[in-house]
Amino acid sequence: MNMNNSNKSFNLKAIRNINLIFIFLMFIIGFFVIRLFYIQVIRYSYYKQSALNDQLVQSKIPATRGLIEAHDGNQIIPIVLNQELFTVYADPSLVKNVNNMADKLVGVLGGSKSKIVTLANTKNTRYVVLAKKISQSQSDKILGFHIPGLGTIGQDYRVYPQGDLVSQTLGFVGDNSKGSYGLEQSMNSQLSGKPGYLKAITDINGVPLAASKNNINISPVNGKNIVLTIDVAIQKQLQEIIQNAAQSEKSPLISAVIMDPNSGAIKAIANYPTYNPSDYSSVTNQNIFTNAAVSNSIEPGSTLKVFTASAALNQGVIKQNTTYYDPSHWLIDGFNITNIEEDGGSGIKSVEDVLNLSLNTGATWMLMQMGGGQINLKAREAWYNYMTNHFRFGKITGLDQGYESGGIVPKPDIPFQSGDQQNLAYANTSFGQGLSVSALQMDSALSSVINGGTYYKPYLVDGTTDSQGNIAYNKPTIVNRDVVNAGTTKSIIALMQQVVSKHYQSGFTYLNFPSNYIVGGKTGTAQVPDPKGGYTDNIFNGTYIGFVGGNKPQYAIAIFVTTPTVSGYAGSYGAQPIFGNIVHMLINESYVSPIGN
Amino acid sequence: MRPSSQFQSRRGSRFNNNLEMPRKHKPDYILLVIIILLLSIGLVVIYSIGPGLSINSGVGANYFINRQMISVILGLVGFAITAFMPLKAWRRFEKPLIIISVIAALAVRVLGQEVNGAYRWIQIGGFSFQADELIKFALLIWLAGFLASQIKSGAISDFKKTLLPIIMALFIIGVVVAGVESDLGTTAVMMAMMACMAFVASVPMKKIAIFVGVIVACVVIAVATSSYRQQRLATYLHPSSDCQNSGYQTCQALIAVGSGGILGLGLGNSVQAYGYLPESANDSIFAIYAEKFGFLGTTILLALFAALFVRLKNIIERCPNNFSRLLVTGIMTWLSVQAFINIGAMIGVIPLKGITLPFISYGGTSIMFVMAALGIVFHISRYTTYTVPTKITEGDDYDNSHYGRRLRGSRNPAISSRQ
Repeated sequence: MNMNNSNKSFNLKAIRNINLIFIFLMFIIGFFVIRLFYIQVIRYSYYKQSALNDQLVQSKIPATRGLIEAHDGNQIIPIVLNQELFTVYADPSLVKNVNNMADKLVGVLGGSKSKIVTLANTKNTRYVVLAKKISQSQSDKILGFHIPGLGTIGQDYRVYPQGDLVSQTLGFVGDNSKGSYGLEQSMNSQLSGKPGYLKAITDINGVPLAASKNNINISPVNGKNIVLTIDVAIQKQLQEIIQNAAQSEKSPLISAVIMDPNSGAIKAIANYPTYNPSDYSSVTNQNIFTNAAVSNSIEPGSTLKVFTASAALNQGVIKQNTTYYDPSHWLIDGFNITNIEEDGGSGIKSVEDVLNLSLNTGATWMLMQMGGGQINLKAREAWYNYMTNHFRFGKITGLDQGYESGGIVPKPDIPFQSGDQQNLAYANTSFGQGLSVSALQMDSALSSVINGGTYYKPYLVDGTTDSQGNIAYNKPTIVNRDVVNAGTTKSIIALMQQVVSKHYQSGFTYLNFPSNYIVGGKTGTAQVPDPKGGYTDNIFNGTYIGFVGGNKPQYAIAIFVTTPTVSGYAGSYGAQPIFGNIVHMLINESYVSPIGN
Repeated sequence: MRPSSQFQSRRGSRFNNNLEMPRKHKPDYILLVIIILLLSIGLVVIYSIGPGLSINSGVGANYFINRQMISVILGLVGFAITAFMPLKAWRRFEKPLIIISVIAALAVRVLGQEVNGAYRWIQIGGFSFQADELIKFALLIWLAGFLASQIKSGAISDFKKTLLPIIMALFIIGVVVAGVESDLGTTAVMMAMMACMAFVASVPMKKIAIFVGVIVACVVIAVATSSYRQQRLATYLHPSSDCQNSGYQTCQALIAVGSGGILGLGLGNSVQAYGYLPESANDSIFAIYAEKFGFLGTTILLALFAALFVRLKNIIERCPNNFSRLLVTGIMTWLSVQAFINIGAMIGVIPLKGITLPFISYGGTSIMFVMAALGIVFHISRYTTYTVPTKITEGDDYDNSHYGRRLRGSRNPAISSRQ
């Protein structure tokens, strides 16, 4: 080994240089430790917050809205379902190639490209909605483009497999997930359930990590499924019947209610015109949203004579077979109460005639009997008591619907308007003018009169279903057991049957019902108040109340037809054909058990 | 204490050798302990982030740890092989290593997959091979041999004979690794290795200045020719300006490190590994480690690296010859610069580079070559002198061994000589 001095000095130089490098390395490590101290200790809270901004998800977990189901024969079928649809949104600040994005979106969704381009070029916003209610598969396709700034967000929407069935009664659910109108509004809290709450450290996909201790995860309580008393088949046909009638009679509004008089359960309730709740946003006339059968009270006209007779019979001031002399007009408070032309003139009339011929003078006579022979405070108070406490006019029924109208009943002792003649006003109420009621009120009151005297609170919600599909049925609610006595019921049923058979005999051939069923009814042709005061003399509302059954009435029916264009009385020619069609439908399709069963 | 007869025999053997290598003694086991500690930390971190990694990669939670275990075992095998291989043998591998490296480098460009703008990997069956690691290793062996022979022939200060070949090599590396593979991080590591080895080989400072000038020129060219690097530089200068796009990884790394706090979130509690921080098993593993173990953990890890460098420096100082000294210098530079670039990127002091953290990052190639290199160091540690040369002594290559080369650090020659 030849070693010389230069090699020796190399050794020393190498040692010196390696020491320099080493010191440099240690300096860097020291610098790193200081830097780490700065990041991890001094700036800890800043970075912790930054981390939480990314990692912590705090959100409401939406509860699934309850379904709405209804009876269909022996089955329960859903009539309102949920479906997840997607909203396409963009963050204009992140979308680089708007044209390209618009092309791709139009490829999936169709529609106008320029509209998307305009939206996506919106300035000063980071969220624009490009499309709504697109399907899962469309959403998947759009997300598959992986365009930065473009996304979709899912939301449950209501789906209506039966189209416009019971639409106004159901109401709809707006974009804010709140129910509007109908059951969706009145039962919103039960249907919507309780949203859950999530506060969790998540992975980048938003999936909570099991590791973090402070996670809060409150599961949502899903809304209750509700089962309606509605029978889908009856409802469908009722809607068809009133739609056809509205078109042929040129009526702007027809409402009808079919109720089980022995429980208050509503089997069908419909108005025409109607709308499809899945397309509620295209409705221009907001009045269509309201359930007119519940919220629209009108002067019912002669159908009210059934209740005048009930009140008089129940007080014992008349009997089913009572006869009296009818002068064909009464002068009350200086005004003449008269009848329609076909009253047959003055003479001896029976209670049957009062209903059959729809004698205003007869109804007034009944009211007089309540006052001992004349209209006085006693008569007014007795009649007022029956109207409001027995038949519950002027009071809302409390059906699960918003915007219910209770109607107006004049007070017996205080003039409704100053200068009104109380006796005249009360004479008018005896034949259905000067008070207002809804179709629902009429049907509920009729039910109480024909079922033996029990006023049931009308109801639409038959029960709720649990997650296993078991139904917990609601019990009918009895409001008043003493509306009328059994004798009155018997008389009224007989009197109303007689009205139908007399009408059949007088030429309304469609009232040809099989003899093993009981069918009763009463028409009403109501004068329409003139906005200028008094009543108009050329347009009328037609109303009808009636029942069909076997051993006892099984369906109570109330029909309001607004200003039909018919040749004849609105009650007989506007509303009565609808009643006829409904009863034929119920009998022909075996919804009614005949006499003996 | 050692009997004097043994001491005598060792003295005797010194003269029987051709004096290229002094007598064999116990290797540096502390070095081995540090290496195993570092590898263990890597395994623990990889194991604990398995579930997070599996989210975006679609493999099982144990996929990464199983493969990493195989890598570590292969690394230990490599370590054992090079630890027992005679040092002289490496001189014979120079040329084959360089040829294989060039082929690998070209193969990466042709067959390799681009990851973040850089070509670093070749897929072979189910395994991916990182050509950089081989190139670094070949460069190390060649340059140590070259510089040692130049020192021996006294040509170390000669521009044409010494500096020109190095600059040529630098140029080739610049073209191949930085230009062809677009891997600037590895280029930086190699250039640092060359610079430090030249520095320790006592290439005159003026000439090293030329060397540095070439490096700077290469960096400028590299940045100027790649938009992806310009973006990274811009991100480095204003890291928080664009946390959503190009600065995303830097921001997420800082968040991971910073949210670790003093004591860390705990082994199983890293959140950033769950998809937030890209490359959390490879290039970003330090940030995940910092998130889990906090300032305490990062300090311990840096202390372990510091301890490794202390052991390497002690071996360099006591190396029996120039070839081994330059080898260990190159290895120390390799490991330190690579670790610094990796950690520096995670703590926002160096522009982000796609480069692994030695011992810790997931990846077999890196672990195998690092372990093979350290096997060489371990081998050299059997032949170190007891003391560091401090003055020029006539007549003996191993001047210090006169008064007793010993098992380094384990026995005091003064005590043994008293016996």
